Amino acid sequence: MVKDTKDYKEDFLNQGFDATETAYDQRGYHLEVVLNVNQVRKFAQTAYELGFYLVFVTGFHVRPDEGHDTGNSGLEVVYQFARYDQPYRIKACVSVPNSLEVPSISDIYQGANWHERETRDFYGVVFGGHPNLNPLLLAEEDADFHPLLKEETNLKSLHEVSWPSEAPEVAKEGAEAETGQ
Amino acid sequence: MLESELKEHNRFFLNMGPQHPSTHGVLLIVLEMEGEYVLDPQPVLGFIHRMHEKMGESRPCSSFMPNTARMDYVCALPYNHGYVSLIERKAGIEVPKRAEYIRVITSELNRVASHLLWLGAYLLDLGAFTPILYGFDDREHILDILESITGSRLTYCYYRFGGVYQDIDDKFIEATRAFVKRMRKRYAIYEKLVTKNIIFIKRTENIGIVSPDMALRYGMTGPNLRGSGIAYDVRKNEPYSVYPEFEFAIPVGEQGDCLDRYMVRIREIEQSLRIIEQALDRLPDGPVRSKVPKNIKLTPGDCNFAVEAARGELSYYLLGDGTSTPYRLKVRVPSYSNLSCLPELGRGILLPDLVSILGSFDLVIPEIDR
Repeated sequence: MVKDTKDYKEDFLNQGFDATETAYDQRGYHLEVVLNVNQVRKFAQTAYELGFYLVFVTGFHVRPDEGHDTGNSGLEVVYQFARYDQPYRIKACVSVPNSLEVPSISDIYQGANWHERETRDFYGVVFGGHPNLNPLLLAEEDADFHPLLKEETNLKSLHEVSWPSEAPEVAKEGAEAETGQ
Repeated sequence: MLESELKEHNRFFLNMGPQHPSTHGVLLIVLEMEGEYVLDPQPVLGFIHRMHEKMGESRPCSSFMPNTARMDYVCALPYNHGYVSLIERKAGIEVPKRAEYIRVITSELNRVASHLLWLGAYLLDLGAFTPILYGFDDREHILDILESITGSRLTYCYYRFGGVYQDIDDKFIEATRAFVKRMRKRYAIYEKLVTKNIIFIKRTENIGIVSPDMALRYGMTGPNLRGSGIAYDVRKNEPYSVYPEFEFAIPVGEQGDCLDRYMVRIREIEQSLRIIEQALDRLPDGPVRSKVPKNIKLTPGDCNFAVEAARGELSYYLLGDGTSTPYRLKVRVPSYSNLSCLPELGRGILLPDLVSILGSFDLVIPEIDR
Protein backbone atom coordinates (compact mmCIF):
# COMPACT_ATOMS: atom_id res chain seq x y z
CA MET A 1 0.00 0.00 0.00
CA VAL A 2 2.79 2.41 0.88
CA LYS A 3 4.26 3.95 -2.22
CA ASP A 4 7.94 3.79 -3.14
CA THR A 5 9.89 5.93 -0.79
CA LYS A 6 12.90 8.06 -1.45
CA ASP A 7 15.22 9.06 1.33
CA TYR A 8 15.90 12.78 1.29
CA LYS A 9 18.64 12.71 3.90
CA GLU A 10 21.41 12.97 1.30
CA ASP A 11 19.77 15.94 -0.40
CA PHE A 12 19.84 17.91 2.81
CA LEU A 13 23.31 16.74 3.85
CA ASN A 14 24.67 17.83 0.46
CA GLN A 15 23.33 21.31 1.09
CA GLY A 16 25.25 21.42 4.38
CA PHE A 17 22.42 20.78 6.83
CA ASP A 18 22.80 18.72 10.00
CA ALA A 19 20.27 16.00 9.18
CA THR A 20 19.78 12.80 11.18
CA GLU A 21 17.50 9.89 10.45
CA THR A 22 15.08 9.08 13.24
CA ALA A 23 12.99 6.09 14.28
CA TYR A 24 9.61 6.78 12.71
CA ASP A 25 7.79 4.24 14.89
CA GLN A 26 8.72 6.13 18.01
CA ARG A 27 8.71 9.71 16.85
CA GLY A 28 6.35 9.98 13.91
CA TYR A 29 8.80 11.74 11.63
CA HIS A 30 11.66 10.48 9.48
CA LEU A 31 14.33 13.14 9.52
CA GLU A 32 15.51 15.60 12.11
CA VAL A 33 17.39 18.69 11.08
CA VAL A 34 19.10 21.05 13.51
CA LEU A 35 19.50 24.49 11.99
CA ASN A 36 21.21 27.66 13.04
CA VAL A 37 19.48 30.96 12.49
CA ASN A 38 21.36 31.76 9.29
CA GLN A 39 20.32 28.51 7.65
CA VAL A 40 16.57 28.82 8.09
CA ARG A 41 15.78 30.50 4.78
CA LYS A 42 18.14 28.31 2.79
CA PHE A 43 16.58 25.25 4.37
CA ALA A 44 13.06 26.38 3.52
CA GLN A 45 14.13 27.10 -0.05
CA THR A 46 15.71 23.66 -0.36
CA ALA A 47 12.61 21.98 1.05
CA TYR A 48 10.39 23.93 -1.33
CA GLU A 49 12.50 22.98 -4.33
CA LEU A 50 12.39 19.32 -3.29
CA GLY A 51 8.59 19.51 -3.19
CA PHE A 52 7.86 19.49 0.53
CA TYR A 53 4.87 21.30 1.99
CA LEU A 54 4.84 23.11 5.30
CA VAL A 55 2.89 21.31 8.01
CA PHE A 56 3.35 23.82 10.80
CA VAL A 57 5.68 26.24 12.54
CA THR A 58 5.66 26.41 16.30
CA GLY A 59 7.98 26.80 19.25
CA PHE A 60 8.73 25.70 22.77
CA HIS A 61 10.39 27.22 25.79
CA VAL A 62 13.27 25.64 27.72
CA ARG A 63 15.81 26.85 30.28
CA PRO A 64 18.32 28.89 28.33
CA ASP A 65 21.55 28.30 30.25
CA GLU A 66 23.00 24.93 29.28
CA GLY A 67 24.02 23.22 26.10
CA HIS A 68 23.43 24.55 22.67
CA ASP A 69 24.75 27.73 21.12
CA THR A 70 25.89 30.51 23.34
CA GLY A 71 23.50 33.35 23.80
CA ASN A 72 20.25 31.59 23.09
CA SER A 73 17.03 32.78 24.60
CA GLY A 74 15.69 29.37 25.61
CA LEU A 75 13.14 29.51 22.83
CA GLU A 76 13.18 26.95 20.07
CA VAL A 77 11.29 27.22 16.81
CA VAL A 78 10.13 23.95 15.25
CA TYR A 79 9.23 23.54 11.59
CA GLN A 80 7.60 20.47 10.20
CA PHE A 81 7.58 19.59 6.52
CA ALA A 82 6.02 16.61 4.75
CA ARG A 83 5.35 15.33 1.26
CA TYR A 84 2.19 14.77 -0.73
CA ASP A 85 3.60 11.84 -2.73
CA GLN A 86 5.15 9.62 -0.09
CA PRO A 87 5.35 9.27 3.67
CA TYR A 88 8.26 11.48 4.64
CA ARG A 89 8.17 13.95 7.48
CA ILE A 90 10.92 16.32 8.53
CA LYS A 91 11.28 18.13 11.78
CA ALA A 92 13.62 21.09 11.71
CA CYS A 93 14.40 23.12 14.78
CA VAL A 94 16.34 26.27 15.41
CA SER A 95 17.43 27.93 18.65
CA VAL A 96 16.25 31.50 18.88
CA PRO A 97 19.07 33.96 19.69
CA ASN A 98 18.80 36.59 22.43
CA SER A 99 17.57 39.15 19.94
CA LEU A 100 14.50 36.89 19.54
CA GLU A 101 14.82 37.29 15.80
CA VAL A 102 14.49 34.43 13.33
CA PRO A 103 14.21 35.08 9.59
CA SER A 104 10.72 34.66 8.19
CA ILE A 105 10.08 32.04 5.51
CA SER A 106 6.69 33.46 4.61
CA ASP A 107 7.86 34.58 1.16
CA ILE A 108 8.95 31.01 0.32
CA TYR A 109 6.03 29.24 1.96
CA GLN A 110 3.17 31.73 2.07
CA GLY A 111 1.41 29.37 4.46
CA ALA A 112 4.08 30.17 7.06
CA ASN A 113 2.64 33.67 7.36
CA TRP A 114 -0.05 32.72 9.87
CA HIS A 115 2.03 30.06 11.60
CA GLU A 116 4.74 32.63 12.28
CA ARG A 117 2.24 35.18 13.54
CA GLU A 118 0.85 32.54 15.86
CA THR A 119 4.35 31.69 17.14
CA ARG A 120 4.95 35.38 17.78
CA ASP A 121 1.66 35.53 19.69
CA PHE A 122 2.51 32.57 21.88
CA TYR A 123 6.26 33.06 22.42
CA GLY A 124 7.28 36.50 21.26
CA VAL A 125 9.65 35.27 18.56
CA VAL A 126 10.18 38.06 16.01
CA PHE A 127 10.24 36.83 12.45
CA GLY A 128 12.47 39.20 10.50
CA GLY A 129 11.08 40.22 7.14
CA HIS A 130 7.53 39.12 7.91
CA PRO A 131 5.04 41.34 6.07
CA ASN A 132 2.52 41.68 8.89
CA LEU A 133 3.57 40.49 12.32
CA ASN A 134 0.46 41.61 14.21
CA PRO A 135 -1.41 39.45 16.71
CA LEU A 136 -3.46 36.81 14.94
CA LEU A 137 -5.12 34.54 17.48
CA LEU A 138 -4.65 36.82 20.46
CA ALA A 139 -6.21 40.25 20.85
CA GLU A 140 -4.44 43.39 19.63
CA GLU A 141 -4.06 44.70 23.18
CA ASP A 142 -2.31 41.47 24.23
CA ALA A 143 0.57 42.00 21.83
CA ASP A 144 3.10 41.83 24.68
CA PHE A 145 1.52 38.88 26.44
CA HIS A 146 2.93 35.49 25.45
CA PRO A 147 0.86 32.74 27.08
CA LEU A 148 3.09 29.76 26.29
CA LEU A 149 6.21 31.14 27.96
CA LYS A 150 6.76 29.02 31.03
CA GLU A 151 7.42 30.25 34.52
CA GLU A 152 10.97 29.89 35.80
CA THR A 153 9.97 27.04 38.16
CA ASN A 154 8.41 25.00 35.36
CA LEU A 155 11.26 25.35 32.91
CA LYS A 156 13.26 22.29 31.94
CA SER A 157 16.49 22.25 30.04
CA LEU A 158 16.59 21.14 26.42
CA HIS A 159 18.17 17.74 27.11
CA GLU A 160 15.40 16.91 29.61
CA VAL A 161 12.82 17.13 26.84
CA SER A 162 14.92 15.54 24.09
CA TRP A 163 15.33 11.92 23.09
CA PRO A 164 18.28 10.32 24.88
CA SER A 165 19.83 9.41 21.52
CA GLU A 166 20.65 13.07 21.01
CA ALA A 167 23.37 12.63 23.65
CA PRO A 168 27.00 12.06 22.55
CA GLU A 169 27.79 9.32 20.05
CA VAL A 170 29.02 6.73 22.60
CA ALA A 171 25.80 6.58 24.61
CA LYS A 172 23.66 6.51 21.48
CA GLU A 173 23.08 2.81 20.88
CA GLY A 174 22.38 1.86 24.47
CA ALA A 175 19.96 4.73 24.89
CA GLU A 176 18.03 3.89 21.76
CA ALA A 177 17.63 0.27 22.80
CA GLU A 178 16.22 1.43 26.11
CA THR A 179 13.56 3.66 24.63
CA GLY A 180 12.54 0.94 22.22
CA GLN A 181 11.11 -1.20 24.99
CA MET B 1 -10.45 64.17 -10.60
CA LEU B 2 -7.52 62.08 -11.79
CA GLU B 3 -8.22 58.48 -12.70
CA SER B 4 -6.14 57.17 -9.80
CA GLU B 5 -8.01 59.42 -7.37
CA LEU B 6 -11.29 58.23 -8.79
CA LYS B 7 -10.23 54.64 -8.16
CA GLU B 8 -9.24 55.49 -4.61
CA HIS B 9 -12.58 57.21 -4.18
CA ASN B 10 -14.51 54.11 -5.17
CA ARG B 11 -12.75 51.86 -2.67
CA PHE B 12 -14.37 50.91 0.58
CA PHE B 13 -14.07 48.36 3.35
CA LEU B 14 -16.67 45.75 4.09
CA ASN B 15 -16.79 43.63 7.22
CA MET B 16 -17.95 40.10 6.49
CA GLY B 17 -18.70 38.61 9.88
CA PRO B 18 -18.01 37.91 12.68
CA GLN B 19 -21.69 37.00 12.76
CA HIS B 20 -22.27 36.57 9.07
CA PRO B 21 -24.33 33.50 8.14
CA SER B 22 -21.90 32.40 5.47
CA THR B 23 -18.80 32.44 7.67
CA HIS B 24 -19.96 29.34 9.62
CA GLY B 25 -18.81 30.54 12.97
CA VAL B 26 -17.21 33.62 14.40
CA LEU B 27 -14.89 34.56 11.59
CA LEU B 28 -14.36 38.12 10.45
CA ILE B 29 -13.10 38.85 6.98
CA VAL B 30 -12.19 42.44 6.27
CA LEU B 31 -12.75 43.00 2.58
CA GLU B 32 -11.23 45.85 0.66
CA MET B 33 -13.71 46.36 -2.14
CA GLU B 34 -13.99 48.23 -5.37
CA GLY B 35 -17.60 48.00 -6.38
CA GLU B 36 -18.58 44.33 -6.46
CA TYR B 37 -14.95 43.22 -6.70
CA VAL B 38 -12.84 42.08 -3.77
CA LEU B 39 -9.35 43.58 -3.81
CA ASP B 40 -7.97 42.20 -0.59
CA PRO B 41 -9.76 39.80 1.76
CA GLN B 42 -8.03 39.54 5.15
CA PRO B 43 -9.39 37.01 7.65
CA VAL B 44 -9.29 38.14 11.28
CA LEU B 45 -9.03 35.16 13.61
CA GLY B 46 -9.18 34.47 17.30
CA PHE B 47 -12.73 35.36 18.31
CA ILE B 48 -13.15 32.00 20.04
CA HIS B 49 -9.53 31.33 20.88
CA ARG B 50 -9.40 29.13 23.99
CA MET B 51 -5.69 28.24 24.10
CA HIS B 52 -6.16 24.48 23.98
CA GLU B 53 -2.39 24.12 23.68
CA LYS B 54 -1.86 25.75 27.07
CA MET B 55 -4.51 23.50 28.58
CA GLY B 56 -2.66 20.56 27.01
CA GLU B 57 0.51 21.33 28.94
CA SER B 58 -1.12 22.16 32.26
CA ARG B 59 -2.84 18.85 33.05
CA PRO B 60 -2.11 15.11 32.82
CA CYS B 61 -2.41 13.84 29.28
CA SER B 62 -5.57 11.83 30.01
CA SER B 63 -7.41 14.95 31.18
CA PHE B 64 -6.94 16.59 27.80
CA MET B 65 -9.19 14.05 26.04
CA PRO B 66 -12.41 16.12 26.22
CA ASN B 67 -10.58 19.11 24.74
CA THR B 68 -9.81 17.26 21.53
CA ALA B 69 -13.49 17.06 20.60
CA ARG B 70 -14.00 20.76 21.16
CA MET B 71 -11.73 21.93 18.41
CA ASP B 72 -13.45 20.44 15.38
CA TYR B 73 -16.88 19.82 16.84
CA VAL B 74 -18.31 18.68 13.49
CA CYS B 75 -15.92 15.78 13.11
CA ALA B 76 -14.62 15.12 16.61
CA LEU B 77 -13.76 11.43 16.53
CA PRO B 78 -10.69 11.75 14.27
CA TYR B 79 -9.47 14.34 16.80
CA ASN B 80 -9.96 11.74 19.54
CA HIS B 81 -8.20 9.25 17.31
CA GLY B 82 -5.16 11.40 16.67
CA TYR B 83 -4.68 12.21 20.31
CA VAL B 84 -5.00 8.68 21.70
CA SER B 85 -2.73 7.39 18.93
CA LEU B 86 -0.15 10.03 19.78
CA ILE B 87 -0.03 9.03 23.44
CA GLU B 88 -0.06 5.35 22.46
CA ARG B 89 2.91 5.90 20.16
CA LYS B 90 4.75 7.88 22.81
CA ALA B 91 4.10 5.45 25.64
CA GLY B 92 4.27 2.29 23.50
CA ILE B 93 0.72 1.15 24.32
CA GLU B 94 -0.74 -1.75 22.32
CA VAL B 95 -4.32 -1.46 21.11
CA PRO B 96 -6.54 -4.56 20.63
CA LYS B 97 -7.55 -5.10 17.05
CA ARG B 98 -11.27 -4.95 17.77
CA ALA B 99 -10.81 -1.53 19.31
CA GLU B 100 -9.01 -0.27 16.21
CA TYR B 101 -11.85 -1.56 14.04
CA ILE B 102 -14.40 0.22 16.20
CA ARG B 103 -12.34 3.39 15.99
CA VAL B 104 -12.30 3.20 12.21
CA ILE B 105 -16.04 2.52 11.96
CA THR B 106 -17.00 5.39 14.25
CA SER B 107 -14.46 7.80 12.72
CA GLU B 108 -15.76 7.10 9.24
CA LEU B 109 -19.36 7.54 10.36
CA ASN B 110 -18.34 10.87 11.82
CA ARG B 111 -16.64 11.83 8.55
CA VAL B 112 -19.83 11.10 6.62
CA ALA B 113 -21.81 13.20 9.12
CA SER B 114 -19.34 16.04 8.67
CA HIS B 115 -19.56 15.92 4.88
CA LEU B 116 -23.36 15.89 5.06
CA LEU B 117 -23.38 18.95 7.29
CA TRP B 118 -21.00 20.68 4.92
CA LEU B 119 -23.15 19.76 1.93
CA GLY B 120 -26.24 21.36 3.44
CA ALA B 121 -24.44 24.42 4.73
CA TYR B 122 -22.57 25.05 1.49
CA LEU B 123 -25.72 24.98 -0.60
CA LEU B 124 -27.40 27.22 1.92
CA ASP B 125 -24.56 29.69 1.30
CA LEU B 126 -25.28 29.51 -2.39
CA GLY B 127 -28.95 30.21 -1.82
CA ALA B 128 -30.42 26.71 -2.04
CA PHE B 129 -32.47 25.99 1.04
CA THR B 130 -33.73 22.45 0.49
CA PRO B 131 -30.50 20.34 0.52
CA ILE B 132 -29.74 21.15 4.16
CA LEU B 133 -32.99 19.47 5.16
CA TYR B 134 -32.00 16.29 3.36
CA GLY B 135 -28.43 16.47 4.63
CA PHE B 136 -29.53 16.93 8.24
CA ASP B 137 -32.05 14.13 7.91
CA ASP B 138 -29.27 11.70 6.96
CA ARG B 139 -26.85 13.14 9.48
CA GLU B 140 -29.41 12.68 12.23
CA HIS B 141 -29.27 8.92 11.71
CA ILE B 142 -25.50 8.94 12.24
CA LEU B 143 -25.78 11.07 15.36
CA ASP B 144 -28.34 8.64 16.79
CA ILE B 145 -26.06 5.70 16.06
CA LEU B 146 -23.04 7.41 17.60
CA GLU B 147 -25.03 8.63 20.59
CA SER B 148 -26.07 5.06 21.40
CA ILE B 149 -22.46 4.01 21.76
CA THR B 150 -20.52 7.11 22.81
CA GLY B 151 -23.10 8.89 24.90
CA SER B 152 -22.78 12.20 23.08
CA ARG B 153 -24.09 13.62 19.86
CA LEU B 154 -21.36 16.08 18.99
CA THR B 155 -18.38 16.43 21.31
CA TYR B 156 -17.40 12.80 21.64
CA CYS B 157 -14.92 11.55 24.18
CA TYR B 158 -15.19 7.89 23.27
CA TYR B 159 -11.65 6.68 22.62
CA ARG B 160 -9.34 5.82 25.47
CA PHE B 161 -5.62 5.18 25.61
CA GLY B 162 -5.34 1.53 24.64
CA GLY B 163 -8.83 1.13 23.19
CA VAL B 164 -12.33 2.57 23.35
CA TYR B 165 -14.67 3.33 26.24
CA GLN B 166 -17.12 0.48 25.60
CA ASP B 167 -17.78 -2.31 23.12
CA ILE B 168 -20.30 -1.95 20.34
CA ASP B 169 -23.40 -4.15 20.42
CA ASP B 170 -25.56 -5.89 17.80
CA LYS B 171 -27.96 -2.98 17.80
CA PHE B 172 -25.17 -0.65 16.77
CA ILE B 173 -24.05 -2.96 13.98
CA GLU B 174 -27.59 -3.38 12.72
CA ALA B 175 -28.27 0.34 12.74
CA THR B 176 -24.98 1.08 10.97
CA ARG B 177 -25.69 -1.46 8.24
CA ALA B 178 -29.16 0.00 7.81
CA PHE B 179 -27.67 3.47 7.51
CA VAL B 180 -25.14 2.40 4.87
CA LYS B 181 -27.96 0.88 2.85
CA ARG B 182 -30.14 3.95 3.23
CA MET B 183 -27.33 6.38 2.41
CA ARG B 184 -26.58 4.63 -0.88
CA LYS B 185 -30.16 5.17 -1.97
CA ARG B 186 -29.89 8.86 -1.23
CA TYR B 187 -27.13 9.59 -3.76
CA ALA B 188 -29.68 9.72 -6.54
CA ILE B 189 -31.62 12.40 -4.67
CA TYR B 190 -28.53 14.54 -4.13
CA GLU B 191 -27.51 14.10 -7.72
CA LYS B 192 -30.90 15.23 -8.96
CA LEU B 193 -31.24 18.02 -6.45
CA VAL B 194 -27.74 19.49 -6.51
CA THR B 195 -25.04 18.07 -8.75
CA LYS B 196 -26.84 18.63 -12.01
CA ASN B 197 -28.45 21.90 -11.00
CA ILE B 198 -27.45 24.56 -13.51
CA ILE B 199 -27.42 27.40 -10.96
CA PHE B 200 -25.17 25.36 -8.70
CA ILE B 201 -22.77 24.61 -11.54
CA LYS B 202 -22.63 28.27 -12.57
CA ARG B 203 -21.78 29.26 -9.03
CA THR B 204 -18.99 26.71 -8.61
CA GLU B 205 -17.40 25.80 -11.94
CA ASN B 206 -14.11 27.63 -12.60
CA ILE B 207 -14.53 29.56 -9.36
CA GLY B 208 -11.68 29.69 -6.85
CA ILE B 209 -9.14 27.59 -8.70
CA VAL B 210 -6.38 26.33 -6.39
CA SER B 211 -3.34 25.23 -8.38
CA PRO B 212 -1.18 22.36 -7.05
CA ASP B 213 1.71 24.77 -6.46
CA MET B 214 -0.49 27.14 -4.51
CA ALA B 215 -1.78 24.26 -2.40
CA LEU B 216 1.81 23.28 -1.61
CA ARG B 217 2.90 26.79 -0.69
CA TYR B 218 0.05 27.08 1.80
CA GLY B 219 0.23 23.50 3.08
CA MET B 220 -3.34 22.70 2.13
CA THR B 221 -4.61 19.21 2.86
CA GLY B 222 -7.81 17.19 2.77
CA PRO B 223 -10.58 17.45 0.17
CA ASN B 224 -9.46 21.00 -0.64
CA LEU B 225 -6.12 19.64 -1.80
CA ARG B 226 -7.55 16.57 -3.49
CA GLY B 227 -9.83 18.83 -5.51
CA SER B 228 -6.64 20.14 -7.15
CA GLY B 229 -5.77 16.65 -8.34
CA ILE B 230 -3.23 15.64 -5.71
CA ALA B 231 -4.13 12.25 -4.24
CA TYR B 232 -2.86 12.90 -0.75
CA ASP B 233 -4.70 11.27 2.12
CA VAL B 234 -2.99 10.48 5.43
CA ARG B 235 -5.02 7.26 5.63
CA LYS B 236 -3.15 6.00 2.56
CA ASN B 237 0.03 8.01 2.56
CA GLU B 238 1.03 7.45 6.16
CA PRO B 239 -1.28 4.58 7.13
CA TYR B 240 -2.30 4.46 10.77
CA SER B 241 -4.69 2.28 12.78
CA VAL B 242 -6.08 -0.57 10.62
CA TYR B 243 -6.70 1.50 7.48
CA PRO B 244 -4.21 -0.55 5.38
CA GLU B 245 -6.58 -3.54 5.74
CA PHE B 246 -9.40 -1.88 3.82
CA GLU B 247 -9.88 -1.18 0.16
CA PHE B 248 -10.87 2.34 -0.67
CA ALA B 249 -10.00 4.93 -3.29
CA ILE B 250 -8.92 8.54 -2.96
CA PRO B 251 -11.24 10.65 -5.11
CA VAL B 252 -9.47 13.57 -6.78
CA GLY B 253 -10.63 16.52 -8.83
CA GLU B 254 -9.10 17.93 -11.98
CA GLN B 255 -8.59 21.66 -11.84
CA GLY B 256 -9.21 22.57 -8.21
CA ASP B 257 -12.31 24.76 -8.48
CA CYS B 258 -15.25 24.79 -6.08
CA LEU B 259 -17.06 22.15 -8.12
CA ASP B 260 -14.09 19.77 -7.85
CA ARG B 261 -13.98 20.21 -4.09
CA TYR B 262 -17.69 19.47 -3.98
CA MET B 263 -17.34 16.33 -6.11
CA VAL B 264 -14.44 15.05 -4.02
CA ARG B 265 -16.47 15.24 -0.81
CA ILE B 266 -19.52 13.63 -2.36
CA ARG B 267 -17.42 10.74 -3.63
CA GLU B 268 -15.62 10.46 -0.30
CA ILE B 269 -18.91 9.64 1.39
CA GLU B 270 -19.12 6.47 -0.69
CA GLN B 271 -15.52 5.55 0.16
CA SER B 272 -16.23 5.97 3.86
CA LEU B 273 -19.29 3.73 3.52
CA ARG B 274 -17.10 1.13 1.84
CA ILE B 275 -14.65 1.21 4.74
CA ILE B 276 -17.47 0.91 7.27
CA GLU B 277 -18.95 -2.09 5.44
CA GLN B 278 -15.61 -3.90 5.22
CA ALA B 279 -14.87 -3.20 8.87
CA LEU B 280 -18.27 -4.53 9.95
CA ASP B 281 -17.82 -7.66 7.86
CA ARG B 282 -14.42 -8.44 9.31
CA LEU B 283 -14.92 -7.15 12.85
CA PRO B 284 -12.66 -9.36 15.03
CA ASP B 285 -13.63 -10.62 18.47
CA GLY B 286 -11.71 -9.83 21.58
CA PRO B 287 -11.23 -7.12 24.17
CA VAL B 288 -11.73 -3.44 23.31
CA ARG B 289 -9.33 -2.02 25.83
CA SER B 290 -5.86 -3.06 26.91
CA LYS B 291 -4.46 -2.63 30.39
CA VAL B 292 -2.96 0.81 30.66
CA PRO B 293 -1.31 2.34 33.75
CA LYS B 294 -3.40 5.07 35.33
CA ASN B 295 -0.54 7.54 35.24
CA ILE B 296 1.02 7.37 31.82
CA LYS B 297 4.58 8.61 31.89
CA LEU B 298 5.64 10.50 28.77
CA THR B 299 9.32 9.78 28.24
CA PRO B 300 11.62 12.67 27.28
CA GLY B 301 11.58 13.50 23.60
CA ASP B 302 9.16 14.64 20.95
CA CYS B 303 6.60 12.68 19.02
CA ASN B 304 4.24 13.42 16.17
CA PHE B 305 1.06 11.75 15.00
CA ALA B 306 -0.93 12.68 11.93
CA VAL B 307 -4.43 11.52 11.04
CA GLU B 308 -6.88 12.40 8.29
CA ALA B 309 -9.69 14.49 9.74
CA ALA B 310 -12.68 15.43 7.59
CA ARG B 311 -10.99 18.67 6.57
CA GLY B 312 -7.48 17.39 6.08
CA GLU B 313 -4.35 16.53 7.94
CA LEU B 314 -4.47 16.84 11.70
CA SER B 315 -1.10 16.61 13.44
CA TYR B 316 -0.44 16.40 17.13
CA TYR B 317 3.11 17.23 18.16
CA LEU B 318 4.10 16.44 21.71
CA LEU B 319 7.16 17.06 23.84
CA GLY B 320 7.51 14.74 26.82
CA ASP B 321 9.63 15.42 29.90
CA GLY B 322 9.27 12.20 31.91
CA THR B 323 6.08 13.23 33.74
CA SER B 324 2.48 12.46 32.79
CA THR B 325 1.89 16.06 31.70
CA PRO B 326 3.07 17.02 28.21
CA TYR B 327 5.79 19.65 28.22
CA ARG B 328 4.41 21.02 24.99
CA LEU B 329 1.43 19.97 22.89
CA LYS B 330 0.98 21.47 19.46
CA VAL B 331 -2.16 20.82 17.47
CA ARG B 332 -1.86 21.38 13.74
CA VAL B 333 -5.36 21.81 12.38
CA PRO B 334 -6.21 21.51 8.68
CA SER B 335 -8.61 24.46 8.30
CA TYR B 336 -5.96 26.89 9.53
CA SER B 337 -3.64 26.21 6.61
CA ASN B 338 -6.54 25.80 4.18
CA LEU B 339 -7.98 29.22 4.97
CA SER B 340 -4.60 30.97 4.91
CA CYS B 341 -4.63 31.00 1.11
CA LEU B 342 -7.74 33.20 1.01
CA PRO B 343 -5.93 36.56 0.65
CA GLU B 344 -4.24 35.25 -2.50
CA LEU B 345 -7.17 33.25 -3.85
CA GLY B 346 -9.75 35.93 -3.24
CA ARG B 347 -7.94 38.80 -4.92
CA GLY B 348 -9.87 40.39 -7.74
CA ILE B 349 -12.94 38.17 -7.61
CA LEU B 350 -16.61 38.99 -7.23
CA LEU B 351 -18.05 39.07 -3.74
CA PRO B 352 -20.58 36.24 -4.38
CA ASP B 353 -17.69 34.08 -5.60
CA LEU B 354 -15.86 34.69 -2.33
CA VAL B 355 -18.90 33.31 -0.49
CA SER B 356 -18.81 30.27 -2.75
CA ILE B 357 -15.08 29.72 -2.13
CA LEU B 358 -15.42 30.07 1.65
CA GLY B 359 -18.22 27.52 1.66
CA SER B 360 -16.31 25.10 -0.52
CA PHE B 361 -13.39 25.16 1.95
CA ASP B 362 -15.56 23.52 4.62
CA LEU B 363 -14.19 25.66 7.44
CA VAL B 364 -14.77 24.97 11.10
CA ILE B 365 -13.83 28.10 13.01
CA PRO B 366 -13.34 26.66 16.53
CA GLU B 367 -10.73 24.43 14.96
CA ILE B 368 -8.90 27.38 13.43
CA ASP B 369 -9.01 29.48 16.60
CA ARG B 370 -8.35 26.57 18.95
